Amino acid sequence: MSGGVALQAFLSGLALGAAYGLIAMGFSLVYRLTRVIAFAHGDLVIGGVFIGVLMVLGSTPVAAALDVAPSVGLAVLVIAAGAALSAGVYLIAVRPFLPAAGHQSNRGDVLGWVAGGLAAGLLVREVLGLVLTQDAYAVPDPLRLGRLTPSGVLQLPGGGTVAVRALGVIGIGLAVGILVERLLVVTRTGTAMKAVSEDPTAAALLGLPVRRLVLIAFVVAGALGGLAGLLISPDRSLGVDDGVILGLKAIAAALLGGLGSVRGALAGGLALGVIESFIVASSVLGPRYADVVPLAILLIVLALGRQGLRLRLREDPE
Amino acid sequence: MIVDLAHHLYLLIAVLGLALPVSYGGQPVLCQGAFLAVGSFGVVHLERAGLPLAAAAFASAVFAAFAGYLVGLLTARLRGAAVALSTWAFAWLVYALLRAFPALSGGSQGLVRPSPARLHSQIFDVTITLTPLVHVAVAGSVCLLSLAAVARLNRGPAGLDWAALREAPALATSLGVPVLHRRAALFATAAAIAAVSGAGITVLLGVAAPSDVSPLLSLQLFVAVLIGGVARLWGPVLGLLVIAVIPPLADALASTVGLPSERSGGVLTALALVAVPFLRGPIERLAGRWPERAERPREPAELSGESARAASREGVMLAAQGLDVAIGETHILTGVDLEVRAGEVHALIGPNGSGKTTALRALAGALQPTGGRILVEGTDVTGAGQLDMVRRGVTRTFQHTVGLERLCPYRQVLLGVRGGTPVPFAAVRHLLGSVSVRDHAAAADREAWRALRLTELAERAFDRPRELGAGEQRLLQVARAVATGARVLLLDEPAVGMTGPERATLSRVLRRLAEGGTAILLVEHDLALVHGVADRITVLERGRVLAGGSPESVAADPAVRRVYLGDVDLSSASG
Repeated sequence: MSGGVALQAFLSGLALGAAYGLIAMGFSLVYRLTRVIAFAHGDLVIGGVFIGVLMVLGSTPVAAALDVAPSVGLAVLVIAAGAALSAGVYLIAVRPFLPAAGHQSNRGDVLGWVAGGLAAGLLVREVLGLVLTQDAYAVPDPLRLGRLTPSGVLQLPGGGTVAVRALGVIGIGLAVGILVERLLVVTRTGTAMKAVSEDPTAAALLGLPVRRLVLIAFVVAGALGGLAGLLISPDRSLGVDDGVILGLKAIAAALLGGLGSVRGALAGGLALGVIESFIVASSVLGPRYADVVPLAILLIVLALGRQGLRLRLREDPE
Repeated sequence: MIVDLAHHLYLLIAVLGLALPVSYGGQPVLCQGAFLAVGSFGVVHLERAGLPLAAAAFASAVFAAFAGYLVGLLTARLRGAAVALSTWAFAWLVYALLRAFPALSGGSQGLVRPSPARLHSQIFDVTITLTPLVHVAVAGSVCLLSLAAVARLNRGPAGLDWAALREAPALATSLGVPVLHRRAALFATAAAIAAVSGAGITVLLGVAAPSDVSPLLSLQLFVAVLIGGVARLWGPVLGLLVIAVIPPLADALASTVGLPSERSGGVLTALALVAVPFLRGPIERLAGRWPERAERPREPAELSGESARAASREGVMLAAQGLDVAIGETHILTGVDLEVRAGEVHALIGPNGSGKTTALRALAGALQPTGGRILVEGTDVTGAGQLDMVRRGVTRTFQHTVGLERLCPYRQVLLGVRGGTPVPFAAVRHLLGSVSVRDHAAAADREAWRALRLTELAERAFDRPRELGAGEQRLLQVARAVATGARVLLLDEPAVGMTGPERATLSRVLRRLAEGGTAILLVEHDLALVHGVADRITVLERGRVLAGGSPESVAADPAVRRVYLGDVDLSSASG
């Protein structure tokens, strides 16, 4: 591929990857605190988007051009819906199966929260599917970034073009991602979360409100997911069932970034987005491999990655 | 109606197959639908390539078994939750492949094949038309056959391995059970059975479509196994009910409320999935812990000259030379030299954190040393894994009591016997009832009783493990290790939790084992016990050998007294 096309693929990959990174950050945050693999995380993203759209439009989605007020409303609603769904999944499907004191998943009822998460994701998909019966929908764009230039695209050196929207997505995604990562480092809540992730029992003994911190982590993860949904959904036609693969890609990104590191998750997301974008742009592979390759990466990293034991993905040999 | 019944029976085959890794192997596998797809599409493609139906189905099953073995090996090291994640990702990977390559899957319409199919045998010159009724008969008999085969396997050596896999994989490895390969084999069997089920469904319906083998099917099959998993015998029937009830219920729901039926099927699956973890506990309590129904072989009369393995009475059995072990940047052991001789109890003592257990793990092959050599009877075995070491006659026990709650001591010891001297394809030979298996079983029985007698547990052979006292549980650990036919025993604090009389029993057992020619390396904190039983003592301090020699010389060593004992006289510590 020519230099211009490559640059174009790289930039749109970064835009996609910023969204993956935000979802992966939430996944990593939750994993760090609870060692729970959030099976429903991708469905929350899609669920948040569709709930917001349904509430603002009052009907099944069309790619309507929105005014300022509905745009802001949509953005807020989607993020809030993501956060609320995430909190709901935690309270209903995950928390009942975690051990009371230690609060990390290895000692709890693993089958319980695995089944709970899978069921929650399935419920989000199927309940939304009762209303949204088409395979895919076009979703309105509340960010209105395309209107900054008349054509909505910028010429790149080398002959390619990139949508202004993609640049905006990269900017917003990176800014929010870095902001959240910094907040987790500098705030007291962030420090408390670090304590819980390292030793929940000791944190509980020190009087830290472990359950509330975990709830906050799930809410933050859901909100990040909602934002990511806002960023990527207008670029594509979105189906109710797309959530699982989106979630699995985010997990792949989190694993690439060294599962459990929030910063690494953002980086992993960017990497995966660029990989996927080059796959789509490549003349050899093409769009049909856009889902296949990331899933294969997930499987391979899970099975052969070196981080297995430290991150408690592998069995202890003892 | 009959078509539905046949369809459900075919799905039940897949459920029975999935029960192997899930209920027996203890792993949450969420990709059975993917292997069903292999059978579904495989049979159509192979038939188009000119293979007869039966051969096409068989070839698909073999292919699925290979794929299953590979996925099983990839996931075998992972924890339960990560197994669920990777198999779930695999299910979606296969689904994504089917959707991305219409040439493979026929697109959303699927691949059509003529139905009803005909089976033609040239040898017998018979043609059978596969009507739905024939399908019911075929699927039903495959179900019954699988049920019978699984029940038979579970009573035999395979059942022992499975119990160890799901309840204590680390223990199983230490006894010589190849855990990873057993898991992968269960996976492969489940995959092959799923492929048969998928092939049957495709022939029955005359079409193979991606939407019929979506990940939702994998979830439904998993739910069916979980619901069925609470009871071994009537469980599959329950599972069948789940499969059979969800679609009509979804249709009814759809028609009354006016919603799309696939969606309500999904909602019902989700509800069933949520219900399972909540219902499991109560149902299991309701059903009670069903007692194990294994036959209880009678204790054979004591044989003269019982020590089955005449070991050479002298010579170094196991030696470490300049052994270094580091975990990350931390050096745990530095230049440790150690020799364990046949017929000798060699005690390894030292303060907490001095590296005793690490040394044991390194010698047992559970931990790779970063330097130095490990020799078994003069052969360099540095770098050998645990399984290899067990085969070479080096077996270890754990510091903590590892339980196999459901297996009586006799069966636990038998597990050690099977692990130590594996019979190739024992499960298959047991299934087919080959004659040689009976000889092996008799030999294993003798070996098990030998281990039980040596450890004075013969009278408790058929008690429930939880009825054993803490000391007897510790002795049972030793018995399992002895049963592997070990010539070198590495015992990690066997006396923990033992009462005084039990310690006396342990000393007696250790002396008896040593007199039989076994080399014993004993890590122990109880110095009175060590002093009474050990022929030789090595003292470790901060990962280095501080002193070594006879108990008297070590007790007199001023460095040992200063570092390890304070100023207590070792010989007065007995009592």
